[in-house]
This record gives sequence, C-alpha cells and structure tokens, in this order.
Amino acid sequence: MTTRGVKLKVAIVGCGKIADAHVEEVGKLAAAEVVAVCDREPLMAEQLAARYGVPRHFSDFAALLTEVRPDVVHITTPPQSHLALAAQSLDAGCHVYIEKPFALNRAESLTIIEHARRVARKVTVGHSFAFDPLTVELRRLRDEGFLGDTVHVESHLGYNLSGAFGAALMGDRAHWVHGLPGKLFHNNLDHVLHKIEDFIPEDAPTLVARATRRLPAGFGDERDDLMDELRVLIEGAHATACATFSSHAVPVRHYARVWGTRNTVTADYVSRVLVVEQGENYPSAIGRLLPAFAQARQYGRGGAKNIRRFMKSEFQFFTGMNELFRRFYHSIQDDGEPPIAYDRIVRISGWMDDVFAQVNAALPRREVGR
Amino acid sequence: MKRLVTGAGGFLGQAVVERLLALPNADLRCVVRSAAQAERLREKAAAHPGARLEVVTGNLLSRADVARAVDGIDVLYHLAASLKGSPADIFMNTVVASNNVLDALAGRPVTIVVVSSMGVYGTANLARGAVVDETTPLEPHPERRDVYSHAKWRQEKLFRDRCAHAGHRLIVIRPGVIYGPGGPPMSARVGLNLFGLFLHLGGGNRIPLTHVENCADAIVTVSENPDAVGHAFNVVDDDLPTSRAYLRRYRREVTRVRSVRIPYAGMLCVSRGVEWYHRHSRGQLPAVFTRYKTATLWKGTRFDNTKLKCIGWTPRVGTREGLTKSFAYLRAASKG
Repeated sequence: MTTRGVKLKVAIVGCGKIADAHVEEVGKLAAAEVVAVCDREPLMAEQLAARYGVPRHFSDFAALLTEVRPDVVHITTPPQSHLALAAQSLDAGCHVYIEKPFALNRAESLTIIEHARRVARKVTVGHSFAFDPLTVELRRLRDEGFLGDTVHVESHLGYNLSGAFGAALMGDRAHWVHGLPGKLFHNNLDHVLHKIEDFIPEDAPTLVARATRRLPAGFGDERDDLMDELRVLIEGAHATACATFSSHAVPVRHYARVWGTRNTVTADYVSRVLVVEQGENYPSAIGRLLPAFAQARQYGRGGAKNIRRFMKSEFQFFTGMNELFRRFYHSIQDDGEPPIAYDRIVRISGWMDDVFAQVNAALPRREVGR
Repeated sequence: MKRLVTGAGGFLGQAVVERLLALPNADLRCVVRSAAQAERLREKAAAHPGARLEVVTGNLLSRADVARAVDGIDVLYHLAASLKGSPADIFMNTVVASNNVLDALAGRPVTIVVVSSMGVYGTANLARGAVVDETTPLEPHPERRDVYSHAKWRQEKLFRDRCAHAGHRLIVIRPGVIYGPGGPPMSARVGLNLFGLFLHLGGGNRIPLTHVENCADAIVTVSENPDAVGHAFNVVDDDLPTSRAYLRRYRREVTRVRSVRIPYAGMLCVSRGVEWYHRHSRGQLPAVFTRYKTATLWKGTRFDNTKLKCIGWTPRVGTREGLTKSFAYLRAASKG
C-alpha cells in the first residue's frame, strides 16, 4: 500500500558542508520536508536551521528522535559515527539515508543492513552520481546492447585540495578525514567505484591498488600521512577496470568511460555531456579526419541539450542526489525496493576494504614530489 | 600582563601584533595556523628585543590547542574568523572556534577585545544615507545577510551572552573595510567582478574604509582604556572617498578596469529578478543578490567614529596617504 501524498518527516544529523545540499534538495521534493536538524555542536545545528528556516534543531540526537519522531533520518556526519547513528535511527523506527561512505568497512555495512532488515526499515547510501542523468543514460545504452559486451571501464575523479573540502581538511590536523582507514580516498572512492560496479558486479574481483603522495610533506603531523593519488586496477571475470583518483591533475576532471565490443561511451560529469564513439571504419586518411568532427558534433549536441535543460530549470547541481532522494522516499511510501540494492552497498564496501588494506600495507609512502 | 592574539597570522592580526610588540614590557602569545605565519611573526619580534613573543601553531577548533593558548593570559585579542569557504566552515571557524575559546576561559575572567564587523548592524531598513553609530540596532535578520555577516553577528552575540555571565571585561570592535598594503584590492561595497566586467555598485556612497594600521591602533587603544570595557566601537577613518572616487584612483594608480555603473535603484531591480529566478528555477542559480543584501551593501549607509575618538583614537594614517601606499602595493603586485 502506498502512502504517497503524505509528506515524510525528514531529520538531518550532522550539520557540516554537505548538509546544506540535503536541506536544499529535500526542499525541492513534494514527498518530504526537513523538520529538524541535529549536530552535537549546538551552534552548527542552530546555524543550519536559521539559514534554511528548519523548525527545530537539536544537539541531542536521542531527544530529536523522541520529540520529532521523523520518518527518515539523513546521516551526514563523519563516517566514524554512521554505524551508531544508523542503529539508533533504525531502533527508533526511521528509514535511513547515509552519506557516502556508508560505513567504515564491509563488516559495519553488513551490520547496518542486517539491522535494517531486522526492524523492517530501509537504508540507502549517497551514491548520488548513480542517479545522475549521464549515468542513467550510460546504463540504458548498456541494457539495450548498444555497447556490446563490456571490455574495460575507466572511472576517474579529480579532487582540488585547495577547494572548500580540501582546504578544510588540509587546514586542520584533527579533521575527521585523517582518522579514516583510507583517509582522503575513503571519503571519495565511492564515487569512483560504483560506476565500475555497474559493469563488473563481482564480489571479489582481482584488485591491485597503489597510492602515492605528491603534496610536499612539512606539516609535521597527521596531514603528512595523507596520500593524494590513487590508482586501482580491477580484473573481473569478463572485463577489466581502472579507477583513478587524482588531487593534482589539472584540470580537475570527473568521468567514466566504458569500452564495449561494439561502441565506447564517455560520461563527462564536468561538461555534463555523454560522448559515443562508434565502431565505424572509413578508408585511409578519411578515417583520421572524420572522428574529430563526430566528437565535436556530440559535444555540440550535448551542450545544446544542457541549454534546453537549463531553460527548463532541470540543470541542477545536485540532480543525482535529488533523484536518489526521490526514489528512496517513493520506495518507503510504496514499500518497494530501495534504489540501491544492499548487495551493491556491501560489495563496494568490500572493494574499499581491499584497496585500503593494500595502500596501508605499502606504507611508508613513496615520495614522488614536485 | 600576558596578551593573547588569535588570528595573529592574518592581515589585521599581523598589524595588531606589531603594535603590541611595541608596548613597554610586551609579553605576547599568538595563535597562528601555519609554520610560515609563525616565522613571519618571529621576524617582526626580532625588531623588538625587549618584547617576549610566544607563538602557538594550532587550530581553535582543537580544545587542546585552545587550552594551551589561553593558559595564564590577562587580555585576549580575538581576531580569528573565517572570511571564505563553505557556510559550515565559516561558522565553524568563526563561531564554534570562539565558543571553544570562551569555554577554555571559564572561571578565569579576563579582558576580551573581540573584532566583530559593521555587518552586524541592521542597516537594510534604514533611510538612504543614514548614519550608523553604536546605538543603531543590530541586524534583526542575520540569516538574510551573507554568511560572513551572519557568522560575525552570531559571534558577537556569543561573546555578549557569555561574557556577561563569566565576568569577562568585553570590548567589541566593529571595523569597516580594512585596507592597506597586502590587503584585498576591492571591497564589495565598491562593486563586484562578474566574468571580467566590474559592476560598479557603490556610486556616490562613502566607502567605510579603515587603514589596517589605524584599525590595529583602535584595537590596542581600547584594550588600554578601562572606560572602553562594556562598549562597542565603530572603526572607520576620516575623509572617506566615495566609491566613484575610489574606483577612479584605482584605475589611475593600479590598473585598468572595465566597468559598468549600476545605480542603486537598478541594482534593486536586478536583485528582484535574481530572487525571482532563484525561486522559479528551484535554486538552479544561487540568489547571490537579494534586495535585502543589496540594501545592506549599497544603500549608502554612513558609519560614525565619534565614540572611538572620544577615548583617544585618531587615524594615524590619512586616507589619501593610505590609499596611495595601498594602490602602489597593488600596482607592484599586479606586475608580479
């Protein structure tokens, strides 16, 4: 039975940077409204509530659960607290949306999911790019056989250490990122790996990870232990993949590229264009002339499509997050399957465990310097 | 007397440290974020052999760092704040950091000089050209302002609320636009750069400038005067230029600027349009301009410095001379 039409009461715990996006995106949906925010630092909860007109704010999460009785809790705290907060929310009868990474490791991920099943509540994880229109289109091309069989997947995420997130963690040796098993990678690798997992859905592919640090050391504290470049080679039964995370490559890019036995497709998440490279053969020099124009045409069409979406106010910054929220809420209201299958959440947690184990085993780091 | 300066590595912080080092028997502790900032302060101290300088490299979000910093102090000059970053970061580094400092000082009353901002005043609904002094009511809707002003408003409220209970001797400083060699080139009160085109929004408004040395003087002056305790003080210099005159001099003495003048009424129309589009597009573009923000920045409010002068402050650096030096610095910097 569906309960659509009745607004879900959403509470957000953790009032840091990403909480702004959560409040804004929930506010765009008819299915839900943010009724309370919580942060163990009362001033942070207060500021978020004040800026967005959220009716109530708390520093005691138990008090929020008792007094507000939300239907859904969004956990946007550092990952170290996800397990405990998820358990508390589930026990209070709430469905739970957890920002990535879902938990600190695979064991914790399994614990949360088993808990959710036990109390008949739903959970999901903030793999927002999985619901970005580009990723949705990429999966459609795969499902329709346009790509043929997958041969190789390349997933890349660039990161700006001088940006808002990067500067915050590099400016504070006590920042929670420095306490994660996979440090900087731990907070970002979900975005890289879930695009690969779409095409290599295997629990234990062969996985080789290497990390380096280009940023010169010199802080004299935890920040000197932070690796900032990661390469992961994944070998599945029928396809391979390469995951790269770079804090230094310029420009800062974000893309996924899938090579198929018929065609190759690149989803460019920065210029927000999907580029198809078709397996057409032209004779001699013509074969060298035409592909560039074919690519230019695709970028042109993609750009024009983006303008049309902009004109219709559909070119939102957090489109994928918004769609994920919408599907999660509908799965709650319709008592349907959550938008991200639990085995996928656990699989990616397991892959990340493997990556961090290899990276940490290789310490002390290799200095490649500049 | 042990004095602590937070935010000592910043533009204003360095000037305050310089002034405090020059005091007889100076005994100073400074909190900075990086080793490079610490080194710069030690170089300044080398010119004052009689002064004692201790530098703590740390973060005010760390309670351990804060406890180390406030240990045994008599006077706190609290300059630490965040000017940029995400809203959460600005609040963390401005308000939560201040709260940590006040927690660490619990049970040990000290004199506190907190550097607030003119952004805390409720100027949106004042008449055009109104004069703001320390009796002007504070902002009734800080959440409608830019995040920096909102955070400074909350920081000042925090100090007022907590100092009253803790017995600290609080003095609030509200500077205008701090300028000088090494400072920012252009205040938003003059205008904004939009994709290479400068929108001149200030027109004939007086820009509430204060030279960094004059502002540092004000901070030290109030801390030395017992009559200042319990009061707030605006800090602006005399002979302030209009926005138009400032831009003219900037063009002449620093570099060429391609600009377009938008009068206040025009900016209100633009702001109305931006607000409408923000709502209509469900936040596709942020509401960078709103009529409320426009009124606080470009309505032509003037700021009064009489109260500060009454306790013995005078602007040591004249505005004409200050701008000449500041523009010379910017010109040299622009040439690399």
